[in-house]
Amino acid sequence: MWGSGILKGMAITMRNMFRGPITVMYPEQKLTLPERARWAVAPRYDEEGAPKCTACLICVNECPDHVLNLEVSRTAEGGKHIDRYVYELGACMMCGLCVEACPFDAIEMSHEYELATRDPHDLVRVLLRDVDAASARRAKGGDDA
Amino acid sequence: MSMALGILARFGAMLVLLLVNGVMLIYMLRKVLGHLHLRIGPNRVGPFGLLQTTNDVIKLLTKEDLRPASADAWLFNIAPFLIFVPSFMAYIPLVFGPTLAVTSLDTGLLLAFALTSLVPLGVLMAGWASNSKWSLIGGMRAAGQQIAYEVPLLLSALGPVMMAGSMDPVKIVAAQSGVWLGFIPRWFVLPQLLAFVVYAISSQAETQQTPFDMSEAESELITGFANEYGGMRFGFMYLAEFSNTFVVSAIGTMLFFGGWQLPWVATPAWLAPFVFIAKTYTGIFVMMWARGSLPRFRVDQMLSFCWKVLIPVSLAWVVVWACVQRLWPVVAMAVSR
Amino acid sequence: MTDEPRITTPITAEGTTFPGPLPCGLRCIPRGVDELATEHLVLNMGPQHPSTHGVLHILVELDGEEVIAAEASLGYLHRGIEKLAESRRYHQVPTLLDRADYLSGLHSETAWALTVEKLAGIEVPRKASWLRALLMELNRYASHLVWLGTFGMDAGAMAPFLYIMRDREMLLDVIEAITGSRMMFNYVRPGGVAADLPAGVDAKIRAWLDVADTYLDENDALLGGNEIFRLRMKGTGVIDRATALAFGMTGGCLRASGVDYDLRRDVPYCAYPELDFEVPLGVRGDNMDRYDVRVGEMRQCIRLIRQLIDGMPEGEFSGRRSRVLKVPAGECYAAVESPRGELGIHLVSDGGFTPYRMRLRSPAYFNLAVVDEALAGGLIADAIVTLGSLDIVLGEIDR
Repeated sequence: MWGSGILKGMAITMRNMFRGPITVMYPEQKLTLPERARWAVAPRYDEEGAPKCTACLICVNECPDHVLNLEVSRTAEGGKHIDRYVYELGACMMCGLCVEACPFDAIEMSHEYELATRDPHDLVRVLLRDVDAASARRAKGGDDA
Repeated sequence: MSMALGILARFGAMLVLLLVNGVMLIYMLRKVLGHLHLRIGPNRVGPFGLLQTTNDVIKLLTKEDLRPASADAWLFNIAPFLIFVPSFMAYIPLVFGPTLAVTSLDTGLLLAFALTSLVPLGVLMAGWASNSKWSLIGGMRAAGQQIAYEVPLLLSALGPVMMAGSMDPVKIVAAQSGVWLGFIPRWFVLPQLLAFVVYAISSQAETQQTPFDMSEAESELITGFANEYGGMRFGFMYLAEFSNTFVVSAIGTMLFFGGWQLPWVATPAWLAPFVFIAKTYTGIFVMMWARGSLPRFRVDQMLSFCWKVLIPVSLAWVVVWACVQRLWPVVAMAVSR
Repeated sequence: MTDEPRITTPITAEGTTFPGPLPCGLRCIPRGVDELATEHLVLNMGPQHPSTHGVLHILVELDGEEVIAAEASLGYLHRGIEKLAESRRYHQVPTLLDRADYLSGLHSETAWALTVEKLAGIEVPRKASWLRALLMELNRYASHLVWLGTFGMDAGAMAPFLYIMRDREMLLDVIEAITGSRMMFNYVRPGGVAADLPAGVDAKIRAWLDVADTYLDENDALLGGNEIFRLRMKGTGVIDRATALAFGMTGGCLRASGVDYDLRRDVPYCAYPELDFEVPLGVRGDNMDRYDVRVGEMRQCIRLIRQLIDGMPEGEFSGRRSRVLKVPAGECYAAVESPRGELGIHLVSDGGFTPYRMRLRSPAYFNLAVVDEALAGGLIADAIVTLGSLDIVLGEIDR
C-alpha cells in the first residue's frame, strides 16, 4: 500500500521518542576521554617536582607550525637554563608530533580540552619559566653518580 | 456600554489565547522534535525550559528592524500583518464550550476558511516585496501551494457539514453528542474517515509543515519568503504560523472529533475548554510528529498530488455522501417494511 | 624520472567524448528569452547556504523553478595545502592531509603513506596494513553516516541527521581511543601506523557491530523506504555512464551509473586482497541509485570491519621507527578508495627531506564537475538533492 513506508518511518521516530536522549548534559556531566586523547601540551615533572625538559629543542624543530619556542641561557656551572618555554596554544593543532619526538618524555598531550577563552592573552602559554633544564645524561638513565 | 465592554473582553480573550498559544506551541514544537530526535530540546531557561519562548520573544522584540533598501517599503511593512491578522481573526468561530464561544455565526466555518485563505496573499506579498530572488521563489511556491490546498480543505469539511446540517460550529459540535449503537460516540470521524484523511493532509499543507513545507524549505531557501525579515516582523509571521496550526487543528476537532465533548459522559461546562484544548493539542502533536519524521515533497509533485488526487477524491466523497445521506431514510424505511 | 610503473586504471572510456569546452570565467548573461518576454533568473546558491555542504558557490540560471544551467565557482576553502606540503617533512604531511578531506582523513593519510612507501621502497608489516584497513573502514562508515544525515536534511527529513550521530559517536569514540583524536588523526605514517590497538577497543568495536545493522536499518527505513523520498529521488539527477566516465568520476557516483570499478577490489592495497566483500552497483545513475549504492557500501563496511577485527594479526605496527625520512628522487602515484572515490597522491621528490611537489587527486572535485550536466533540466529542489547525493567535501575540492 502506498504510504506504508511513511507510517513505518513515523513508527520508528515515535519509538525513538521513548528511548531517551543520547545527549550528555555538559557541563554537569562530562565524558571521560580515552587515554590517547590529544589536547593541550603540558610539561611533565619528575618525582622531585623538577621539570624533565632538557632543552634539547627537538620538539621546537618537529612542530609543523612552529608553535613551541624555547629561550635558553647558560647557568654558571655550564648547564642549560630555560628562561621561557613558550607554547602558542591558539595556533597548536594538537597533532602530537612534539610529544612523539621528545626523547626524554618531558611533555605530554594533556586531556585539558576546556580551552575556550575571552582573553587572547590566554592563547599563548608559558609552560616553563626560569627553571634549570634537566641534565640529558641523567634523564637518559646514564651514570648515577 | 456593556456591549462594547463585552466586545473588548472577547477581543482580549482571543488575544491572550493567541499569545499564550503561540508561546506554548513553539515550546511544544521544540520539545517534541527534540525527543523524536533522541535529544532533549530546551531545558536550561526556566524549569524544563518553559521560559525559552519568552526569552525568544524578548530577543525578537529587541532586535534591529531592518528593511532592505530596495524592498518595496509599503508592501514589506504590511505583509506580516496580512499574515497575522487573518489568523488572529480565525479564532472567532471556535467553540470552546457549550456557552463559551466568541460569537455564534451561522456561517462560522465559512468565515474561518475564508480568513485562512487570506494568508497566502500575505506570504506572496512578503516574498515579492523583499526584492530577493530566494524570497520570491518561496513566495511563489506558497502562492501555489496554500491556495491549491484550500480546495480539498473546504471540500473535506463539507461531509461533516452535511451530517450536521449547518455551518455553525456550535451546531456541528452539538450534532456529535450521544452515541450510535449504544457504545460508539457519535463523532463524525468514523463515517467520514476519508474526509478526515483528506482534511489532515490538507491542513498539514495549509500550515506549511513538512512534508509540505516547500515555501520555507530550510535546506533550499533558508526561510523562503521570510528571508529578509528580522526582529518582530519575523516574530509576527512565526506566531501567525503557529496560530494557524492551532486554528486548523481546532476546526478539525470541531468537525470530526466532537469539539469540547467527552465521549460517553456528559461534559461539565468548566471541563469543556480543557477537553477541547487537549484534543486540539493532540492533533497538533500528530502534525509535529509528521513534521519531524518525513522528507518533503517537491513542488510539482505536491501540487499534482493536490489537483490530481485530493480534489477528485474529496469531490467524489461529497457526491457519494450526499447521495447516501439523502437515500438513507428511504433505504431504512424500505428495509424496515 | 624513475621508470617506476605507475598504477593505471583498468577502465577504458571508449566511445566517450568530452562534453564541450570547459567553462572558464563566469557565464552570468541570461542565455535565452522566451516568446512570453520572461527573463531567466541567475541565482547564487551559496557560498553561505544551509545545504551546499561547505562553502560551495553554484550559480544557477533559472526559468521559474527549472534549472537551465549551473556552474560551480570554487576556491572559498582554498588553504594552499599542496604548497604547504612542500615545506613539511614526510611525517608531518599527514597533519595537512587530514584537513583536506576532513571527513575521511585516514584515507588521505593512507594514500600518502602508500605513495611514499612506494617511492622510498619501505616495507610495511602485515599488522600495520590490517590496522590501516580497519581504520579506513571505520572512517568510511563514519563519512557515509554524515552523508546519509545531510542527504536526509537536503530532502527535508530532520530525523536521520540526529540518528546518525548515535552511530557516529560510537565510531568516533573507537577512533579516538586508537588514534587519539576524533577528526584530525595523524595516525598513518610512511612505514606503518603510529600505535597499536589499545586494550578495550576490541570490545568497543564489537559493541558497535552489535547495533550497527539495526541503526542502519532504521535510517534506511526512514529514508529509502519512504515513498515521498523515493518519489523525489527516482529519475532525478541522472548521470549516465558515458558522462560519468568522461568527467572522471569515481567512487559511489561512478558505480551508481553502472561502471563496476572499485580500487579496493581492482587495484588492491593494504589488507583488501585478503578480505571478502561485494561492490554494490547501480543501473540508471539517478539519485536513488547513488543512495542505494552508498547504503550498500555501508553494509559491506560492517562486514569488512567484522572480518578485520576477527582476523587482526599479531606483529609490529610500524616498519620503521626513525622519524627522519629521505625519499629518493623520482615521482610516484598511489590511490585509495575513499568514501568519495579514487583519492590519489602524486608525489614528486627531489631526494630531500621535504617533498618537491605533492598533488592530491581529489575525487569530489571530479564528481562535482558534472554539476552542469546533472542539474540542468531539473528543478531547484532536484538540484539541492543531486548535490547532496554526490557527497562532496569542500575541503578536498579546494584544498
